[in-house]
Amino acid sequence: MDLLIDYVTLIGFGPTGWGWQLARATFLTISVSACAYLAGLVFGTLGAWGKLSASRAAHGVTDAYTTIIRGVPDLLVIYLFYFGGSTVMTKLGQMFGASGFWGLNGFMVGVLAVGVVSGAYQTEVLRGAFLAIPKGEIEAARAVGMGRLLMLRRIIGPRVLRFGLPGMGNVWQQVLKESALISVTGLAEIMRQIHIGAGSTHQPFDFYVTGFLLYLALTTVSGQLFRWAEGWTLVPERRAA
Amino acid sequence: MDFDFLGDTMMKLLAGVPLTLQLTAISVAIGAALAILLAVLRAVSRPGEYFVRFYVFCLRGTPLLLQIFLIYYGLGQFAFVRESILWPFLRQPYWCAILALSLNTAAYGSEIVRGGLQSVPAGAIEAARAAGMSKLLMYRRIILPLALRQALPAYGNEMVIMVKSTSLASIVTLMEVSGISYAIISETYRALEVFLCAGSIYLVINFLITRAVAAVEYRITPHLRPVST
Amino acid sequence: MNLAVAVTDLRKSFGRNEVLKGVSLAAREGEVISIIGASGSGKSTLLRCIPMLEVPDGGEVAIAGETIRMRERHGRREPADAAQVNRIRGELGFVFQTFNLWAHMTVLQNVIEAPVHVQKRPRAECVAEARDILEKVGLGEKLDAYPAHLSGGQQQRAAIARALAMRPKALLFDEPTSALDPELVGEVLRVMRALAAEGRTMLIVTHEMGFAAEVSTRAVFLADGRIEEEGPPAQVFGDPLTERCRQFVGRHLNR
Repeated sequence: MDLLIDYVTLIGFGPTGWGWQLARATFLTISVSACAYLAGLVFGTLGAWGKLSASRAAHGVTDAYTTIIRGVPDLLVIYLFYFGGSTVMTKLGQMFGASGFWGLNGFMVGVLAVGVVSGAYQTEVLRGAFLAIPKGEIEAARAVGMGRLLMLRRIIGPRVLRFGLPGMGNVWQQVLKESALISVTGLAEIMRQIHIGAGSTHQPFDFYVTGFLLYLALTTVSGQLFRWAEGWTLVPERRAA
Repeated sequence: MDFDFLGDTMMKLLAGVPLTLQLTAISVAIGAALAILLAVLRAVSRPGEYFVRFYVFCLRGTPLLLQIFLIYYGLGQFAFVRESILWPFLRQPYWCAILALSLNTAAYGSEIVRGGLQSVPAGAIEAARAAGMSKLLMYRRIILPLALRQALPAYGNEMVIMVKSTSLASIVTLMEVSGISYAIISETYRALEVFLCAGSIYLVINFLITRAVAAVEYRITPHLRPVST
Repeated sequence: MNLAVAVTDLRKSFGRNEVLKGVSLAAREGEVISIIGASGSGKSTLLRCIPMLEVPDGGEVAIAGETIRMRERHGRREPADAAQVNRIRGELGFVFQTFNLWAHMTVLQNVIEAPVHVQKRPRAECVAEARDILEKVGLGEKLDAYPAHLSGGQQQRAAIARALAMRPKALLFDEPTSALDPELVGEVLRVMRALAAEGRTMLIVTHEMGFAAEVSTRAVFLADGRIEEEGPPAQVFGDPLTERCRQFVGRHLNR
């Protein structure tokens, strides 16, 4: 019982508790993951477009993109953006007359790196979803005279969502867990914050278990949200009651 | 391009390859054995099913990095762990990384094996029952051989993911390929060049693993090949 | 008189659907019994209850005089001794409608699997015997083929060889030709006819009325989970006593 009280005090919102820091870290994890996920959606859409396009060049570029990302550790991609980004930024700064060292902050590195990584997986998901659309539906859209953009918005978009959402949910889970790697840039998201807490209180187990529970809660709740969304995309296919 | 730097970096990184391969091989071996055990446990007993589902839920719902930290830094908080006979292992980053990697891949692997178990035709099991096989014999001779053949391609992907995952061991000080990469980058700030070298090493390793798995798959599935005439 | 298979007052329900309502049937050694009836009459269930592939809710099964011991547990009947059931299964050869060969093993491996691993007989002896059996069913050339590379008729003959390799006291056939293309039925029936001529004890659930009339020593007509008519094939197929059997046979023989 004492153990439990000690633990609640440790992670609570009292004067000696870490509650506020942990809440802020959780918020950071969610926001950096969400932004990275959106970036990944953009990269993934471009990637899927490239893989489906008739252009050899676009094909080659997107194939290289997904092959490299899926074969190289995510940590290295983060290092590339973290260290490489600052080199590029410093050079850019010098070009515009600024002096000294410029860097990308952890948040931007995280969004870019995790976005690029998840974009490669998203590419495959979206490509698969597009290929799952029955050819007849696209033909029918053409037959009624839809233009490309209209078709994309009214027919292809909703259908890709219908077939791709389960895979997109998996990519989100991956992003959420990968966001822990951004802690190496010093960004105080959950992983970094509990590491700091563990170090300064000498109660590492309590902190890591807290982090464990926080991530479990995030993956469970967001997984449920994706399942609801999936059910919602299936509504037109459900039999009338 | 500075080819001297690239060559030099490559040589330094190659020195980390044995450790990367070692971490992968040991944890994939332990993890696969555990994965089969978990998948079978889930299939044969109700309490076993709940336990395995909870295990998989926990390990798939949290980042691997956290699992490594929990084992490496977290367990030492308790005196009974520090006084146990396991402490000489648990205090070394090498064994902590292997433990975390094995437990992690066992969770994902058990789901792959489960898929394989579900693909075993009911008729094959029925015929085994009719032949008087005990449950154990049935698993050993009929169910697992069919299930594992089915699961192998997906397990190949899991192995590739494991090669990539061993990079996290560098965060608990192990100097495998990624650890050495970090050391070189933070010294030289030439992230792109180092990324190119390290990336190509990982790509080659993963390419070889993919080919090896495909070759093994070809060898063990003569029954799925068209007859050669 | 030696009874190879004896079932007494067998009962079985699936949910609310009572499929067997007390069936008793005994096969003497060397008898060939064909079991006929409309689909849903319970004939397959009856056959599957013999090696306990379905566990009956009531009644007894005895193989070569040995009764399978049953017990109640959590309000459900189950075999009391799994080892006994496995041993008895090894004394029966079961042939399925869908062959159910093990896809990862060659024909020869399929045939020697249970003799080597269940009956623990020496491998060399099993292989020699398996070759003979496969030769007999006309698969002497296909020892190393995988099931997926065989026609349905060949697969079913391999499955029959697998059943024979157990040196069974009785052979149970569950609609062995129903999943076959019509032109492949003959080769399987030919093998079964040869087995009957050898004097093997056989219980055959089938829709092949002509074949059943020809090879069986006794025929059983099942309707609604009960034995409606039983007797020599001449009676059951030629001049049935009951109206239902007469209608059923009339419908099927003319095809």
